[in-house]
Amino acid sequence: MGGVWSIAVYTFREGIRKKTLIGFLILSIMVIFGSQFMTAFLTTSSDTTGQSELDVKLIKDICVTAISIFGMLITIFVSASVVPNEVENKVVYTVLSKPVRRFQYLLGKFLGVQIIIIVNLALMGGLFFFALYLKEQVAPTLLLWSILLTYFQFLIVSAFTFAISCTSTSSVLPTIGGLFIYITGNLTEYLKDVYDRSGQTESTIDWIIGQSAYRLWQVLPNLQYFNLKDQILYLSVNDHPRDAMIPQLILYGFVYGVAGYLMSYWIFRRKEL
Amino acid sequence: MSAVIETNKLCKIYEGARRGQDVNALNDLTIAVQEKEIFGYLGPNGSGKTTTIKMLLGLIFPSSGTMKIMGSEDIGLPQIKRKIGYLPEGAYYPDFLKGEEILRFYGQLYGLRGKDLERRIDETLEIVGMTRARKRLLRGYSKGMRQRIGLAQALMSDPQVLILDEPTTGLDPVARKEMRDLLVRLRSEGKSLMISSHELLEVELISDRVGILYEGVLQTMGTVNELLTDRDLSVDVTGVTENSVNSLAEKGIVVEDRIDGRARLRVAQTLSLYDAMEILKAHNLAVVSVAPRRETLEELFVRIVGDAKAKKEGKK
Ligand SMILES: Nc1ncnc2c1ncn2[C@@H]1O[C@H](COP(=O)(O)OP(=O)(O)OP(=O)(O)O)[C@@H](O)[C@H]1O
Ligand SMILES: [Mg+2]
Repeated sequence: MGGVWSIAVYTFREGIRKKTLIGFLILSIMVIFGSQFMTAFLTTSSDTTGQSELDVKLIKDICVTAISIFGMLITIFVSASVVPNEVENKVVYTVLSKPVRRFQYLLGKFLGVQIIIIVNLALMGGLFFFALYLKEQVAPTLLLWSILLTYFQFLIVSAFTFAISCTSTSSVLPTIGGLFIYITGNLTEYLKDVYDRSGQTESTIDWIIGQSAYRLWQVLPNLQYFNLKDQILYLSVNDHPRDAMIPQLILYGFVYGVAGYLMSYWIFRRKEL
Repeated sequence: MSAVIETNKLCKIYEGARRGQDVNALNDLTIAVQEKEIFGYLGPNGSGKTTTIKMLLGLIFPSSGTMKIMGSEDIGLPQIKRKIGYLPEGAYYPDFLKGEEILRFYGQLYGLRGKDLERRIDETLEIVGMTRARKRLLRGYSKGMRQRIGLAQALMSDPQVLILDEPTTGLDPVARKEMRDLLVRLRSEGKSLMISSHELLEVELISDRVGILYEGVLQTMGTVNELLTDRDLSVDVTGVTENSVNSLAEKGIVVEDRIDGRARLRVAQTLSLYDAMEILKAHNLAVVSVAPRRETLEELFVRIVGDAKAKKEGKK
């Protein structure tokens, strides 16, 4: 099993050198910094307490959005490219000719991707945490909870993007697939609405739409559960998250993550390389 | 002697997107690589060499037929993989790493750690002659250096069997000679090697046995001595003129090499020695020497592939 860890470490070392990833990371850091300057610039004219509260809210809004968007782009990009790249440049041939089973190879790659995602999230979140701490003078613990949940949201998207990437020899299709998962995962709530509103007519199409929406709502992950943005905006920075069942959400993310990995193994198991 | 690699009626069909687009890459391939030999695996482009090798390593799966490596049918077993070293065709290695870091990574995949790992890295770098470049990034390596690092990763576990897909392609003559010497040395250490190659001269120099593949069908297999029999005669003569060159050719005697009046003639095996001498005498040529002429591997290859091609076109 030591091989799995070696593969993970090398995946990480290679992944963090990707120009796209570095680009997204730099952009997100610029946005987090930029938001500080922007509001500092705005507040010089009128320095009332109400105004500065509004500024902090603006900063929070910009930063949370930046972290979730850039973080998600990095997640999708890395998860989509790691396996197809190695299949294309044939590194996979030499690795699989060693005493490494396919599930071990895949597990190593998957863990490597998770390390990349976590390190990126820690960098962006850490920076935001620090900036907020300087502004508010209290440790913004709510932010840490939010970042933790964000990771599990990324884990779900990452796992399914990774599974799609195992069907493909280029990273284009899995990247599109990953974006699709992210978008639909955030719209899952609407499927419930569709179901609730169906059945008002007698038509079969109505019934079919309602039923399929309901089934999809049952199996698709709901990424909105992991979103604490509103709480970050309106609660004070060191509040405890409200109404969020954190252990359950972690389990939820973990289960979907494992399901995604198993799916990727099922695809990769008999893949012709 | 026992076989380290055996295939039995191995077939591979690459399924196309539609029916009729299937590629029949390998047909009923039955070959064996013996212990402590160099087996030259030959065939024109697209004949199925890489396909065979990839199946032996479990990278692709046979459509039918069986394979055995060191007597085991389960070629994916870790203890079997430990005994095989594989150099893929035209592979790439992560080029942000140093030479020794690459080997460290592959060594870890064998479960090597700490001092054992470092010792093995030193040893393999020494074997492939890359000790001096070990601290350099792969990005700055030449093609020959990459190929050596590729061979080094195949040697990390000190395997008994080496499967090398075109190990000398892209190397300069000196590097090629060094690679050849290295392969011979590995055989003398008791390893068995299966080498696919287009360099027939090279294969002839180092192989014990060869197999020739054409369009997925094994055309011939045997020891180099068996296959390259003394088919023709080589006769050195003096007194050759422009006229005699042409009239000799009509009688089945080919001038292979000629400097002024001296020439080396190739007498086809269909002609008896006495008849040949009669012809030479009639042309006023003085015979300097007569020797059996061994067919070269290249000639054998061209003949066999040509025959197979003609047979196939005849069928159509
Ligand atoms: N993944 C694949 N899908 C479909 N056909 C393939 C695939 N890989 C190889 N082939 C076909 O199988 C045949 C054998 O290819 P293979 O790569 O084994 O040849 P080779 O003997 O190694 O040739 P070369 O000397 O050029 O390396 C060729 O006709 C090739 O087009
Ligand atoms: Mg080939």
